[in-house]
Amino acid sequence: MMEVKTGAYVRFFLLAIILLACIEPIEFDIPAAPNQIVIQGHITDQAPPYYVEISQAKSINSEDTTSSGISGLTVTLYDDLGQEDLLAEISPGVYETSGGIRGDVGRAYHIVVESSTGERFESIPDTLIPAGKLERIHFAYDRRRIDAETGELNADVFNVYVDAKTDPSINPYVRWRFSGTYKVLTFPESRITVDPSYPEPPLRDPLPCSGYIVVEFIPGGKLEQIADCTCCECWAEQYELAPQVNDDQFVANGQFKKVKVGEVPITGATFYDKYLVQVEQLSMSRYAYDYFRLLKSQKNNSSSLFQPPTGELKGNIIGQNTDQRVTGLFWASSTVSDFIFITQEDVPYPVTPINAATEACYDVYPNATTEPPKEWYD
Amino acid sequence: MSRSLAVLYLFLGTVSLSAQSIINKTIPKVAENTPLVEVLDSLSNEHNARFFYLKEWLATYKVAPNDAGVELGTFLANLLSNTDLYFLQMSENTLVFVKDPNQQLERIKALRKAQKEGSNLQEIIFGDPYATGNQNQVTLSGKVLDDKTGDVMPFAVIQINDSDKAITTDDEGHFELTLDPGVVVLNVSFVDFEKSTIDLSIYQDGEMDIYMTKRSLMLDEIVVRGDATNEVANTRIGKQVLSVEKMKNAPAFFGEVDLVKQIQLLPGVSTVGEAASGFNVRGGSVDQNLILYDGLPIYNSAHVFGFLNAFNSEAIRNVSFYNGGIPAQYGGRASSVLDIQAKEGNLEKWTATAGIGLITGNLAVEGPIIKNKSSISATLRSTYSDWLVRSFRTNYADLRNSSVDFYDGTIKYSHVIDEDTRLSVTGYTSNDAFNLGGDTTFLWSNYLGSVNLSHLIGENFDVSLTSGFSSYNYKVMNEDPVTASTLGYQLDNGIIKADFTYRLSDHLLSFGTQMLYYGFSPGKLYPNSDVSNANSINIPKQNSLEYALYFSDQYQFSPKLSVEAGLRLPVFLSLGPQQVYGYQAGQPRDINVITDTLSFSSLQTAKAYIGLEPRLSIKWMLSDLASFKLGYNRMHQYLHLISNTAAVNPVDIWQPSDFFFEPQRADQISIGYFKDTKAKAYNMSLEVYYKYIENILDFKDGAQLILNPNLETELLQGSAYSYGVETAFSKNNGKLTGSLNYTYSRVFRVIDGPSDAERINDGNPYPANFDQPHVLNLNWKLELSRRHYFTGIFTYQTGRPVTIPLSAFNVENTTVAFFSSRNQFRIPDYHRLDLAFVIDGNHKKNKFGEGSWTFSVYNVYSRRNPFTVFFQSQDGGLPRPFQLSIIGTILPSVSYNIRLR
Repeated sequence: MMEVKTGAYVRFFLLAIILLACIEPIEFDIPAAPNQIVIQGHITDQAPPYYVEISQAKSINSEDTTSSGISGLTVTLYDDLGQEDLLAEISPGVYETSGGIRGDVGRAYHIVVESSTGERFESIPDTLIPAGKLERIHFAYDRRRIDAETGELNADVFNVYVDAKTDPSINPYVRWRFSGTYKVLTFPESRITVDPSYPEPPLRDPLPCSGYIVVEFIPGGKLEQIADCTCCECWAEQYELAPQVNDDQFVANGQFKKVKVGEVPITGATFYDKYLVQVEQLSMSRYAYDYFRLLKSQKNNSSSLFQPPTGELKGNIIGQNTDQRVTGLFWASSTVSDFIFITQEDVPYPVTPINAATEACYDVYPNATTEPPKEWYD
Repeated sequence: MSRSLAVLYLFLGTVSLSAQSIINKTIPKVAENTPLVEVLDSLSNEHNARFFYLKEWLATYKVAPNDAGVELGTFLANLLSNTDLYFLQMSENTLVFVKDPNQQLERIKALRKAQKEGSNLQEIIFGDPYATGNQNQVTLSGKVLDDKTGDVMPFAVIQINDSDKAITTDDEGHFELTLDPGVVVLNVSFVDFEKSTIDLSIYQDGEMDIYMTKRSLMLDEIVVRGDATNEVANTRIGKQVLSVEKMKNAPAFFGEVDLVKQIQLLPGVSTVGEAASGFNVRGGSVDQNLILYDGLPIYNSAHVFGFLNAFNSEAIRNVSFYNGGIPAQYGGRASSVLDIQAKEGNLEKWTATAGIGLITGNLAVEGPIIKNKSSISATLRSTYSDWLVRSFRTNYADLRNSSVDFYDGTIKYSHVIDEDTRLSVTGYTSNDAFNLGGDTTFLWSNYLGSVNLSHLIGENFDVSLTSGFSSYNYKVMNEDPVTASTLGYQLDNGIIKADFTYRLSDHLLSFGTQMLYYGFSPGKLYPNSDVSNANSINIPKQNSLEYALYFSDQYQFSPKLSVEAGLRLPVFLSLGPQQVYGYQAGQPRDINVITDTLSFSSLQTAKAYIGLEPRLSIKWMLSDLASFKLGYNRMHQYLHLISNTAAVNPVDIWQPSDFFFEPQRADQISIGYFKDTKAKAYNMSLEVYYKYIENILDFKDGAQLILNPNLETELLQGSAYSYGVETAFSKNNGKLTGSLNYTYSRVFRVIDGPSDAERINDGNPYPANFDQPHVLNLNWKLELSRRHYFTGIFTYQTGRPVTIPLSAFNVENTTVAFFSSRNQFRIPDYHRLDLAFVIDGNHKKNKFGEGSWTFSVYNVYSRRNPFTVFFQSQDGGLPRPFQLSIIGTILPSVSYNIRLR
C-alpha cells in the first residue's frame, strides 16, 4: 500500500549510515530453531501436475544450505466438489498431483498432509479467481552509478513494467511474478592448471565437457576438439528479489499502468546475447496476499532504520491434532503470462564483452542450465 | 549571652512570685498618649519600685486612658508580646526590661552568609516595632518576579534565616509567609537566578514583590542548586524543574543544546537511541508525553528525524517536567507532561545573542517596545549542514545530491496592561525538509500561535485565559517521474482554556476548563505530474472535541502534612461527518468481512467518551530535611501515535479515539522518600511506582498503516503495565557538583484478543519496544575557575528488545526468515561518555558583549552503540545479524556564542 514510504526509508537509512553511522556484523546468540514444518503448494488453472513442497525450517545459524525435504508424508488435494487427488513423492519432500484434479476458475481447493504418526495438517480452502489481463510488458533504461574504492562504477539497469487490468470487484489482489533468462558463454577448453613443482609454464587442462583434449606433450600442451562442448553455452535464470503484489495507490478502476515488476542489470553476461523477460500475473485470495505482502516487506525493509518488525509468517496451513509448529501456504490462482526480449540494441552503448570464465557455464552462473527456455527461439 | 539570660530566668523564677509585687499594681488614669516611661516613673515613685531599661527601647510606647486599672504585669505582657522586648521581675519591686538577642543573632548570621555568597541584599521594614496594637503573628505575602521580564516565578524557594525552614512560591509566583514579628532574613533562590536576600524587619502584615536577577556569569560565582529545586520543600512528587543554564553547559551532540536529551537523563526517563526524537517515561510510549509550549501542544519536537530537537534553548524561560502525581490542570496524555514556558523580552534594554555551531546558527534578540510596559523576544535558528551530508564519501552516488534543511523560530510579545493585568502573544514554528538523492523529500512543520491574558482580581484570585491554535503537518514528496506523488498529513488544534487560582488561608484552589478541537487529515495522496501513475487517495477528515473541567485544592493540614487533591473530568467526542464500518461479529476485523456502513452527518457525535480522573499528591515532612511523598493519578489519552517503528518518525500518524479505538487510560501510583543534608549540600531520593495502562494500541504483524482507511483492521488494543525503582543522588555545592541516578524498571504489554489473529505473542505478556531494565546516568560539573569548567555525562542503558529470525526456509528460490515472538531478544547494551570544556566570557560587568566557547566531545570512547540489530541475507544465503550504530564514532565539536547588550 505504501511503496513511497519503504523506498524512502531505505534511502534515509543509507543517508544515516554515511552521516556517522556504521553497520557491522555482530555475534548474536540465537537459539536453535524449534522443530518447524514448512508446507508450500500452488494450484493454477494451467494443466496439471501441481506440486506441494514440504520441508523442515533451518536454524538461522546453520551453515548447511541443502534442502531438508520431509519424506514419507501422505498429501491429498481436495476441491469443493468432493473430488480428491493423492499426491506422489517425486523427490525428498516434493509431492506431485496425479492429474485427477485440474484447477478451474470458481472452484476452491485445499490440501491435507498426514504423517505416519498421525499428525494432520490442513490448509484453509482457497478459491481460484480470474487473473484479469496482462496487457503489456515494457521496460526503460535507468542510469545508475555506485561509488567504489576505484571510483564510480556503472550499475545501470532496465526497469521492467507491466500494464494490466483486473476486475476489482472480484479480484482485488494480484501478484506479478518476474523471471529473466539470459544466454551466457564460458570457455572451459581454456582451463589451465599449475603444477606446484614446475609452475612454469602452466599446463592446459580443458574440462572434459568442453569437447577438447590435450594432444601433444609440449610445454603448455596443445588442444584438439573431439566432440561438441556441452558446458559452454548456458541459459541463466534470474528470479525476483521479492514478490511483487499490487499496491492500492497505483490502481484506478482495476487499470494498472507501468507497475514496476523487476530489474534487469546491464552487464556483459546479461546482454552477451539477449534477455528474456517473463511475467506471470496471478490472482489470489487475501490469505495469499497477506503472506506475500509480509514476504515482500521482509525483503524490502530488512535494513530500514525504521525497521518495522516483520512478524511471523502465518499463511493458511493449520495443524489439526498437533502442536507441531507449521508455516506455509497452499494457494490457488488463475495465471496469465507473457514475455518479451530486451536486446543489445536497446542498451544505449556498446556492451562490454562477457568474462572469459574457464569453468562449466552452469558452475559459473547462478541458476544456469544448458537447456534453452522454450520461448528463446520464438 | 543567651545562656546568662536563661540562668537569670531560673533564678528569678524562684523569687518573683509574691502576692503584692509591683506587677500587680494597676495603671493609673493618664491622658491620651502618655509615654510609658512617664507612667513607669510615677509607679516607681508611688510604690518605691525600680525599673531598669534603656530609654530608646521604650521611647515609642504609649499608655491610653482606658488602660487605667489594668495590672502592670498584664499590661506590659500585652504591650510587649509581639516585640523582641520582654521584662523580668528581679525582686518584689524591681523590673528589668530585656531585649531578646536571638533574632538579631540569627539575622547577623544569615546576613554574613548572604554577603559571602554575593547575594543581592535589600533592607525592608514593615511597621513600627514600638507601635501599639502589633499582632502576635504577622503575614508577609507577595510575588517573586524576574526583574528583567517582569515574569512571575513559580517554585522559587524562600528560605527563612539560615535555617531549613523554607517555602516555595505557587504556580503564579505567589507566596505567603507567617512570621513572628521582629527581624528575619529571607533568602530567595531559583535555578539560574542570583540569590536575593531580604533583611526584613516586620511588625505588621506586609506585601512585597521580590525581584530576582537572572544569573550572569560576570558576577561572582553563585551556587546553582541541583536539577530539582529543593526536593524536600517542594510539595509535589514527580516534578522536576530544569535549568536552561545547566543545559547550555552540558556536553552536546554536535554542540547543540538539547532540551529533550537533558530530559532523557532524568530518573525514570529512557530513550531507544540517538535517532529517536521521543522519550519514554516510566514505561510509557513516546506519544504519552504531553509537550506544551506556552500552554499549547507540540506534536513533533524533532529536527532531522530526531538527531536534534526543535526547541531553541535561547527561547526557553522555564521547563517543568511531571512524571508522577500530575496536577489536575494537565490532561490528555497518559505518562508525563513537559511544560515549556517561552522567554519574555527584557522590559528595560535590548540585548542580542548570536551563536554558531557546527550545524546551526542561532540568533536571539529581546528588548522593550515601550520601556517597562511591553517587550518582545524573538529567536531564529537554522542549519547549514548540507556540507556535512555532501562531504561524506559514499557507496550511493545519488546521496551527494541529498540535502538537509531545517529552521525554527519563536516570538513572544508581552504587555503589562496594569499592575494586575498582563497580556502575551506567542508564536512558534519549526520546519524540516529532508531530501534524498533528489527524488524523495520529507517535509514536516509545526505552527503555533497563542494569546494569554492573566489578571489578578483582588489579592487572592488569579485568572488566566489562553486561546490559540497549533498545527502539525508532514508531506512526503516522491519525485520519481513514474510514481511522482505527494503524501500529506495534517493535524490542526484549536484551544480555549481558562485557569483560575484562588487562595483561601491554608488552601490553594485551582480550577478551570479547557476545550480542544482536533481536525485530522489522516492521509492524502495525489500525483505530482501528468505522467505519474500514482492514484489519488484521500482518507476523509476526522473531527473531534476534547473538553475538560478540573478542580484541585492544595491544603496545608499542618506544618508537616500538605495534601493536594484534584479531580479532572474529560469528555471526548468523535464527530461526523464520518463513516463507520460494521464488521461481521465473532470475526477478526478485516475488510473482507465488512457487513454494513454507518454514516454520521456533520457534527453528529459518532462516539463519546467520558472519564473521571482523580489526582492526589501528599507530602509528609519527617523532619526539616526529610520527607515522604505519595502521588496518584489517572489520565486518559485520546490521541494515539500509530507507528510500527521503535522510534518516533515524522511520518507516523496521530489517530484520535473513535468508534473503534477506545481512549488509553493510565493509573499510576508512586511513593518516594526524599532527604537533604544541611544547607542542601546533598539531596537523595528513592521512588517506586506502578503504572497500569488500558487500551494501548499495537499493530498486527506486517500492518499497513499509511493511507489505510480501515486502520481498525490493522491495530489491536490491549493493556500495559510497568513498575520501577528510581534512585537519585546529587551534590549541589563546591567545585564539583553533579548527580547520579539509577533506575530499575520493566514494562510489558498484553494483547489478548478473542481470536488468534487478534493476539500478539499468543496473548502472553511481552516486553514493550522500550523495556530497558537498567538505566544509569551520571553527570557532573567541575569548576576550574570562575570562567573555566569541565562537564560530563555518562549514560548506561540495557539494550532494548527486538524481534529476530529464528529459522529460515526457501520460498520460490529466495530465503525467507521466520521471526520469533514479539520482542523476545535484546540488542547489546547502550553506554556512552560525553565531555565538554566551557570557557565563559570575561566577567567584567560592564563590557559591551561577552563570548563563550564550548568544546564538546560526544561518545568519547567511540562506542558503537547499536540502534538496531537487523538480519540480512547476503548472496541469497541465510540471514545474518548486523548492527546499525547511528553514531559509530567519537564526535568532537565546538560552538561559540556571543551576547551583546
